This record gives sequence, structure tokens and C-alpha cells, in this order.
Amino acid sequence: MEALNKTEQLEAARALINAIEQDDEDRIKTELMALTNARESALFQQIGKLTRELHEALNNFKVDARLVDLTHNAMPDTRDRLNYVIQITEEAAHKTLGYIDKTLPLANELKQSAAMLNESWQRFRNREMSATEFRDLSREIEAYLPVVTMHAGEIHNNLSEMTLAQGFQDLTGQVLRQVIGLVEEVETNLVKLVKVAGQSQQTGETNIVDPLKAEGPQINAKNKPNVVNNQDDVDDLLSSLGF
Amino acid sequence: MKILIVDDFSTMRRIIKNLLRDLGFNNTIEADDGLTALPILNAGGVDFLVTDWNMPGMQGIDLLKTVRADPKLATLPVLMVTAETKREQIIEAAQAGVNGYIVKPFTAATLKEKIEKIFERINAQ
Repeated sequence: MEALNKTEQLEAARALINAIEQDDEDRIKTELMALTNARESALFQQIGKLTRELHEALNNFKVDARLVDLTHNAMPDTRDRLNYVIQITEEAAHKTLGYIDKTLPLANELKQSAAMLNESWQRFRNREMSATEFRDLSREIEAYLPVVTMHAGEIHNNLSEMTLAQGFQDLTGQVLRQVIGLVEEVETNLVKLVKVAGQSQQTGETNIVDPLKAEGPQINAKNKPNVVNNQDDVDDLLSSLGF
Repeated sequence: MKILIVDDFSTMRRIIKNLLRDLGFNNTIEADDGLTALPILNAGGVDFLVTDWNMPGMQGIDLLKTVRADPKLATLPVLMVTAETKREQIIEAAQAGVNGYIVKPFTAATLKEKIEKIFERINAQ
């Protein structure tokens, strides 16, 4: 029902006054009803308009499904990724420092024993050593040489482990690149959102995930059924395929 | 035995290079992705390829497929060393003809084991 204009409203009001003056109960009811209906109709139209605006505003807000995805999935995922970076760098630092702690005493021991033997050897060369002392020196040298081999082997092993521990740079680098990509994406989407505030547009892009897309190190691998957890899992999977 | 190491992170290339040297492989060269690796491979003389998966330019999986599709390179042993751990990816690499698949972070023992296994199989053929 259309809202009444001013002339129509005045006419209806006059008709109502007329009816009241004439004590015409039926016409009073009819005219009153006509006025109320007109008012309610205008109100409903306003509510309708507001509802439509709200609906459009909400639609515009969801204009890019990726933005919703970013908020719901990417952001928490990024938190996990950054925590992973902290965890991996911490582990690598501790691992490296641990091997340094193991290696330093070995190097010190070699240095001290060599210095002692060198001193005795110089005395022997200068003919300042008795036969008994020389026998002791021979035994010391015999005992020292296998220790050198053993310690050198262990030092080599520790250095290899320290080398391997530097793999954190690759793993965290891959993760940080993804986070940088996400930050750029958020920025682009925010700019889009600002543009959308002035005009409405519709995009219906859906994200199809390519299972082969390189993702770098998996965060929370244990919660992902399609992800293997370690080298043993890889070997099992490959041997199950006949490799 | 000349080994080409392909990884976009120079630290990882150094790590693999050092480990290979420990295993007695002193002749290594490096490339930072598939696109830079291909000219080196095409120039000839490379006996073994160690490659990452996730790299800008050309990814490791595409490098593997390109190598297998090239009659001159088809039989080149390829060891993948990667952080990619999805089942689909491992299966894809296996089907594309990878000779070994190592997940990062890995150990020196794993690298040694996989390389030995690859040579065992090649020598058995």
C-alpha cells in the first residue's frame, strides 16, 4: 500500500473530524483505519529499505571469499607458522651450542696432553731424561695417540651435526616467505575492501587446492592425515608403492 | 662422480655439499633452481642430481620430469631432499621416477643410506 501524500493525509484527517462531529461511529473507524494503515505502510517501507541496505552491506563485506578464508584460516595458520620459526631456530641454537659444549673439552684435552708430551719430548731431545722417565713417556705417547684418533673422530662428528643443525635457515626461510606472501595478500584484500565500501561488486572465486603445490615445512603435521611425519613414513609409503 | 646440488637456499646447498664431502664425494656443483640447473645438466658431465622441491623459477618436481623426459638425461639418478611431506607429493615424485626421497630436516646417516641404496640399485641393473 502506498503512503498517503500531504493532501491525501489532510483529506483523511478532515474526513475523520467530520465523522467525529457527526458522531458517525462506522466512518470514524474507517477513517482512523485508513490513516493508521498509511502510516504503517510508510514504516514498513523504511524497514524494508534498511533491511535491504544491511543485506547489501553484509554481502559487500563478504565480497571476497578469500578475505573470510584469510581471517578464519590463514591468520591462525600464520601464528602457528611464526611459532614454528621460533621453535625451529631455538632447537637449532640449542643443538649447535650443545655440540660446542661437547667439543670444547675434547679440544682442550688434546691441547693439554699434547703440551705435556711436547715438554717431555723436548727434554728427551735435549738428553735431560732418564731411562725410567723415557719408558713412562713412551707409555704416555702410546696412550695418547688412540685418544687423538677417538677425539678427532668425535670432533668431526660434532661439527657435522652442527652443519646439519644449520638446516633451520632453509626451513624457517620457506615458512617466512609464506608469511610475507600472506601479509601482501591481506594488504591487497584490505585495499579491495576499501574500494568495495564505495561500490558493490561480486566475486565468486573459490580456492581449489592443488595437492602438489609446494608448501614448505608442514606445521602441525600430526593433525594432517595426508602428511607424513618423518623419513620412516616416507620410506614406508614408497615401499608400499613398490619402490 | 660429479654431483649437482639444486636448492634455493645457499645454506642448505652448503650443508649437503659438506655432508657429501664427508661421504667422499668431493666433486659437487650447485644451482639455485630448476631453470639454472638445466643448462648445467645439458652441458653434460653430471652423474648424480640432488634437488629440493620448493624453489622459485622451476620447482624440483618439474626439474625431475624434464630430466626424465630428456633421452640424454633420462637415466640420471635423482635424489630429492625436501620439506614437502604430503603423500600426494611423495607419490607424484615416485611416479615421476625419483630414485630417493629425503625429508628435511634429515640426518647425515639418512643421506648416506639413501645414496648407497641408489648406487646399489644402479649397480644391480
